[in-house]
Amino acid sequence: MSQTHDDEEELSDDVSNTKAVFARLYGVLKPHWKTMLSAMVSIALVAFSDALFTLIQRTTIDQAILANDRGVLRQMYIYYGIIIIAQAVFVFGFVYLVGLQGERIRYDLRKMMFNHLQKLSLSYYSKTPLGWIMSRVTSDSEKMGDLLTWGILDTTWAAVNIVTAAIFMLFIQWQLALIVIASLPLMLYVAIKFRKRIYYHYRLSRKANSRMTANMNENITGVRIVKALRREEKNLDNFKILSTDMFKSSYRAAYLSALFMPTIQTISAISLGFVLWSGGNMVNNSFISIGSLQAFISFIMMILWPIQDIARVYAEMQNALASSERIFSLLDTQPAISNREQTLAINSIRGEVVFEHVSFHYENDETQVIKDLSFNIAQGQNIALVGSTGGGKTTIVNLLCRFYEPTSGEILIGGKNYLDYKLEDIQSRIGVVLQTPHLFSGTVMDNIRYGKLEASDEQVQEAAKLAGAHEFIMSFEKGYGQNVGEGGNLLSVGQKQLISIARALLADPDIFIMDEATSSVDTLTEALIQKGMHRLMSGRTSFIIAHRLSTIKGADKIFVIDDGRIAEAGNHDTLMKNKGHYYRLYTQQFRHDLESELDPFAELELNKADGAA
Amino acid sequence: MPTNKLNYPTYDLRKVTGPNQLQNFWRMISGWHWHYVGATFFAALGALARTGMNLFLAYFIDEVLIKRQFGGKLLLAILAYLGVVILQALSSFMSGKFSAQTAEGSTRRMRDYLFNHIQRLSYAYHSESKTGDLLERATSDVDTLRRFFADQAIGIGRIVLIFIINFVAIYNMNARLAWISVIILPVILVVSIFFFKSISKAYSAYQDQEAVLTTNLQENLSGVRVVKAFARQDYEIKKFDSNNLEKLKRGRKLNIMHSFFWPSSDLICGAQMLASGYLAATMVMDGQLTLGQFVAFLGLLGWLIWPIRNLGRLIVDTSRATVSLKRITDIIKEKEEDLVTTELPACIQINGDISFDHVNFEYEKNHPVLNDVSFECKAGQVIALLGSTGSGKTSLVNLLPRFYDVTSGRILLDGHDLREYSRDCLRSQIGIIEQEPFLFSCSIRDNITYGVHREVTQAEVEEVAAEAAIDDVIKGFSKGYDTLVGERGVTLSGGQKQRVAIARTLLINPRVLILDDSTSSVDMETEAQIRSALENLMQARTTFIIAHRIQSIMSADIILVFDKGQIVQRGTHESLLKEDGIYRNIYDIQTRIDSAVQEEINSVSDS
Repeated sequence: MSQTHDDEEELSDDVSNTKAVFARLYGVLKPHWKTMLSAMVSIALVAFSDALFTLIQRTTIDQAILANDRGVLRQMYIYYGIIIIAQAVFVFGFVYLVGLQGERIRYDLRKMMFNHLQKLSLSYYSKTPLGWIMSRVTSDSEKMGDLLTWGILDTTWAAVNIVTAAIFMLFIQWQLALIVIASLPLMLYVAIKFRKRIYYHYRLSRKANSRMTANMNENITGVRIVKALRREEKNLDNFKILSTDMFKSSYRAAYLSALFMPTIQTISAISLGFVLWSGGNMVNNSFISIGSLQAFISFIMMILWPIQDIARVYAEMQNALASSERIFSLLDTQPAISNREQTLAINSIRGEVVFEHVSFHYENDETQVIKDLSFNIAQGQNIALVGSTGGGKTTIVNLLCRFYEPTSGEILIGGKNYLDYKLEDIQSRIGVVLQTPHLFSGTVMDNIRYGKLEASDEQVQEAAKLAGAHEFIMSFEKGYGQNVGEGGNLLSVGQKQLISIARALLADPDIFIMDEATSSVDTLTEALIQKGMHRLMSGRTSFIIAHRLSTIKGADKIFVIDDGRIAEAGNHDTLMKNKGHYYRLYTQQFRHDLESELDPFAELELNKADGAA
Repeated sequence: MPTNKLNYPTYDLRKVTGPNQLQNFWRMISGWHWHYVGATFFAALGALARTGMNLFLAYFIDEVLIKRQFGGKLLLAILAYLGVVILQALSSFMSGKFSAQTAEGSTRRMRDYLFNHIQRLSYAYHSESKTGDLLERATSDVDTLRRFFADQAIGIGRIVLIFIINFVAIYNMNARLAWISVIILPVILVVSIFFFKSISKAYSAYQDQEAVLTTNLQENLSGVRVVKAFARQDYEIKKFDSNNLEKLKRGRKLNIMHSFFWPSSDLICGAQMLASGYLAATMVMDGQLTLGQFVAFLGLLGWLIWPIRNLGRLIVDTSRATVSLKRITDIIKEKEEDLVTTELPACIQINGDISFDHVNFEYEKNHPVLNDVSFECKAGQVIALLGSTGSGKTSLVNLLPRFYDVTSGRILLDGHDLREYSRDCLRSQIGIIEQEPFLFSCSIRDNITYGVHREVTQAEVEEVAAEAAIDDVIKGFSKGYDTLVGERGVTLSGGQKQRVAIARTLLINPRVLILDDSTSSVDMETEAQIRSALENLMQARTTFIIAHRIQSIMSADIILVFDKGQIVQRGTHESLLKEDGIYRNIYDIQTRIDSAVQEEINSVSDS
């Protein structure tokens, strides 16, 4: 899959295979074809009614007014009234149907994409910026929805309008009609040219706008530094460049818009002039009636709007097609990791965990992140992974969860290669507590229950008690019904961690994985977290990316991971005696901990940091 | 130094903060008043021309066609007609052009003004306001005003003008016909205002759901590891679907409102067209109206009735512009920081002797943050500030670059009261390293040169980077010094950011340095590097350290221990050790730590 994630892409309209995109758009539209067809018929009837009004007026002039026949006049105005009512019905029909259709298609698209995203592997998420995915689901689905509804409908309306007008004119007086029809392509050409330019500048201005907003955002966020470094003048100059870009493109778009309709009108007026000239002479020779001439004038006015509509749809179409293509490319992405064809049914993944010559590198990068790693862990052992950032600790854990699969070597759980199991079976039996705990908007109850959806309120509370979270939860005004805010940001880091421990406890996993937080939490919370962790670790095989000394010391085995390998392994005492890598890490950390622990000011600072997080 | 170097005649937007909103709108576009008058004039001319086209039609039918006058008169009539059309087209273009110039031009000025104004608002203002809110006002509220000037204001004017001109034209044909033709107008106006008001409510409910859906999506995507770890894909799909469905429902509600409004307003307007048309036709038969007038009337009638529907929308939108203007003027009313006023002849080179003379400071009345603080230091000395959060350390250093001014007492710098210096002059000679340094999303090179207002050679940049122990790291990036920082570029670690900030400050070469010495978030190795970089930076500069640990304090020339805004202990490391107090406690702790570490090591060796 080749995607450019640069935001410049928004400006490129290159659709690599227009035909294929159209075919798939048709596929999206197909389930709704009845609605769409009804909407199209309705709008065609609206356009047709407009043409009928003109014909009625022609008869009114020629056969009622000029002939002084009140009977015909009444009759004509009765028709007129009937068509007004009928047209209102058609208007209702198409507005309702196309609106409904649009909502449905957008709903479908969002659903399809979201469901597909759930299947994609972690590797997809690590290489695709979140914002890119977001705008596929939000803005591209809008654009594609618009194309498939209003785009089609506007075109239908415009085409029916122009065609009916042309046919009626041909019937009334074909020579005059030819004058008008001859000017149509010119008008359409000019209109499309205009629309494309306008749309181009409009999009430039939208881009300029987002750059300008980003710049302003940064300047406000960093205003203290701006002041300290006296950047006011220079930053204003920089901003002015952006606001000038914005000005230029949006003024250009507005200027062209102002020029657009008058130009089309002038062209149509010239053809109207011809019509009047020849028509006038024809009236003289009684080739055409006054009513007919008036009908001609009306028809010419009537085709102005359809022309500008077609031009607009055409100008925006390329972009909408590009949106559609991006949507399809998302839908076509295959998950990098999926179940093998034959899988073993299992109820548990308890048992020995073995890494056998496991190596791993990312898809687009040949650098080995994990190098020929081998170890075996007996059921129930607690493993601490230590080492500096970037050494490969997280990757080992990701491999174990099968978020990624080894590029060579094997991982065995309970004696079988774990590729033989179902992904869901592995992942649902591994409990994970992340360093920065992720909660979902909703209540505390909802978040803990995420670990086991069918759990009763009592079970949730039981898990929270085990995790040591119950007390602070009860201190909330609404207890378990308390809202945690977007991403849990109404809670402190420590609280979020306790809740995520409760969530993992509720899930009752076979293997437990935790990435300990580096950030400091207050002493009480820290103690609670430790307790919760130990509950989770007892009787389960566990892997802890450890930062706390007590965790490290208490582990059955410590792996010092460095540069994708195990640099040292053993328990605390042996490793200390080695006076190697571990010895240095440990004494430094020990000193560091004591310093912050014994600092008379630290307690206050930490509480504050925790509350602000 | 000029504070405002806008490219166009400057206009002080503080003038738009008066009590009269209409006047404020008018002043907002000062400098484009004639453009706006022009836009309105051409809108009127366009409307007149359009009406003229219809009147021409009447003339054409009555005088040319019915009287069978052809040849020269026909040609003349057609040329006249073309003339009117071109006049109309030209007017419409000119009106559009002038209103675009006004709207885009004044908006650009407003954006620049707000950008500049916001960055010059006081430190205190920024501490209290939310970034998101400020940004919202400076972007979407400004855009609401832009649309007001571009579409709504001129749109309302145009519709009213068209209405008046067409009404007068019809009135001149036949007064009774004119009055009968506007019977429906109040109805359609009221209906459309009512409709657009309620639709904007339904629309915001729809938008709210859109926000819910986006949050749901974002949480799902950013929490993908949790979703996968608990194998909760089906649950997530259900949750998203229920939100998605709610959006569909709200969208349908919105849709139903549209589906009823348009045809029913069509019916109302259609009824008027029907009644007036029939009446006019009978008038022709009765000889009260000519056929030409009848045809012209039908055209004029259309322009009288249909635009009124849009008037409803425009009026509703206008109320939004009033709200936005208010939100913008709220910011404009705030006072800017004075950067340039000075009582000294020029910005003199600071030496760095500082003395605090009975300084009191409070953010709010009667909540003292600094209480009678006095001390003195010589240029080049290191002053360590020690104390718990909220004891006043940060407030004290914020006084030095005059982010705030003292409430009473005074601070002397090289013998001059700090308030005699301009803020600009002070800040150019004071360097600040924050606890979590802020870098801008430009290249690393631009970040390092961010604080100096002159051309800097690459050699110079590399030199300070090397001094800050970051040169190697930067050269390790594939784009080196051109590497972009932030969103679309490389994410620097906390320690790397800190060293870039040190390099940035080294380049400024300030006389006074303020240092928030927190290295708690970086690992041990990095800490050592940062420490040596900081030592380079502190050379021969008066340095204030907000200290978090003992190492950085021991070598300080003056140590000030703060509690509740007061200095409770002062002295050097040696002198303070002899006193009973907080400082000795801290030091004792340090010794205890050393022995504890040794014990820990021994405990293993002994076992």
